[in-house]
Amino acid sequence: MSPPLLELDDVYKSYGEEQVLSGVSFEMDAGDVDVVIGPSGSGKSTMLRCVNRLTEINGGDIYLDGDCITDANTDVNELRKQVGMVFQDFNLFAHLTALENVTLGLRKVRGMDKAAAQEKGYEHLEQVGLLDQADSYPAELSGGQKQRVGIARALAMDPKLLLFDEPTSALDPELVGEVVEVMRDLAAEGITMLVVSHEMGFARSAASDIIFLDDGRIVEHGPPEQLFENPQAARTGEFLSRLTHEGE
Amino acid sequence: MPPLPLQSDWAFVAGNLDLLLAGTGVTVGLTAASILLGFLLGFPAGAVEVYGRGPLKRAVETAGVVLRGTPLLVIIILLFFGLSVSSSAFVTATIALGLRSAAYQSQIFRGALQSVDEGQLEAARAIGMGRLQAIRGVVVPQALRRSVPGFQNEFTIVLKDTSIAIVIGLGELLTVGQNLYQGGQSTAALEIFLTVSLIYFVLTFVTNRSLDYIDDHFSIPGGERA
Ligand SMILES: Nc1ncnc2c1ncn2[C@@H]1O[C@H](COP(=O)(O)OP(=O)(O)OP(=O)(O)O)[C@@H](O)[C@H]1O
Ligand SMILES: [Mg+2]
Repeated sequence: MSPPLLELDDVYKSYGEEQVLSGVSFEMDAGDVDVVIGPSGSGKSTMLRCVNRLTEINGGDIYLDGDCITDANTDVNELRKQVGMVFQDFNLFAHLTALENVTLGLRKVRGMDKAAAQEKGYEHLEQVGLLDQADSYPAELSGGQKQRVGIARALAMDPKLLLFDEPTSALDPELVGEVVEVMRDLAAEGITMLVVSHEMGFARSAASDIIFLDDGRIVEHGPPEQLFENPQAARTGEFLSRLTHEGE
Repeated sequence: MPPLPLQSDWAFVAGNLDLLLAGTGVTVGLTAASILLGFLLGFPAGAVEVYGRGPLKRAVETAGVVLRGTPLLVIIILLFFGLSVSSSAFVTATIALGLRSAAYQSQIFRGALQSVDEGQLEAARAIGMGRLQAIRGVVVPQALRRSVPGFQNEFTIVLKDTSIAIVIGLGELLTVGQNLYQGGQSTAALEIFLTVSLIYFVLTFVTNRSLDYIDDHFSIPGGERA
């Protein structure tokens, strides 16, 4: 049997005195889409950032495709080529066009020549429906368009795993749909995604599993039907009902 | 307009225009050399202040504080008469103006580097770019653009402050004017120094306009927000 694509094994993270992740363990197989939910400050962003080592863990191990990526001799730049990230605030490169945002990594990290990088860049802009905005600068794009460029930029590196940190929460409500739609397409194509999001429509329809994180611990982990229809932990039910009420 | 009191003194200025223009040439050369030296030292210094650590960072910060806290006139006299760093007045003036400008340019770049939000650096790291590669490819190009207005200011300050080189006898514009005036033509003082002022003004104006153009030309369509 092949190893899971991603495995967190008893991961601990603290900032000084503050314990942010307290023994987080789960696995994902290739093609899975896991959605992480949980209250503000529960450690969701921290957990994602540990996977591409923007944040260093204090205990436990993380494995990608069977390889431990948290030991001292892991090349973080090699790791990050294989794990893409989409940010809440887009973080597009302001001085580059949409196309250049997508091709920068191909040129500088993958070492592709300009023509090949552009060809691949156009492909990924098309994938997120932004071929016609290739020459626009970030400030000329709407929030939804920016986030789709952010997704294309991550996709272009052909990652094994895509991390999303609240990709729609900085967007005006009417722009959420276009981003969710792109994410659904990616899920359907079999791209492995670990998504922090409270976009319940996406979670219900696209998630393989939902992970409910509270106070640095996984309180419940299971398929969406279980968490939404029949939560095992009282805390899960409370959190979800609060979430649904706020959404109304 | 009332007739000018001494018409002939304008003729004196006109007759010595070649000398004034030669002085202008020295002023322009000194400005360019000083700004260049200031840039070559000031840009890395600004980067060290933002990204460096340890003794190097402290040394750079201290040098900046000292240079910004010392009058330019004192620096130039100290270098020329005190330390005799060079027998050439031009070289000494370039070092004095260049060092002082580096201390100010470092602050322009420091602010500009810090104004590019962290998130972009993080995004560059997240696609596998190394730290230096990300700083060079993502932060520096934006910081350079944001430095233009501050740089414009610094440029005009250096241009005007080249006149301080008069104290070490460098034949720049003001020195030429002074020599004309002291060479027996003291009656033409007003005309000479008005002409000198006008030349400084024209130089400043042209430089500012050129840098405005650069600012426009390199601005990011739609603005800076990502
Ligand atoms: N760089 C840091 N330094 C110190 N503390 C941090 C840092 N990053 C996060 N924290 C703390 O860790 C805890 C978890 O933060 P994290 O951002 O992971 O939560 P989150 O679940 O993503 O919350 P949100 O829903 O608000 O995004 C918080 O208490 C936060 O203050
Ligand atoms: Mg978060």
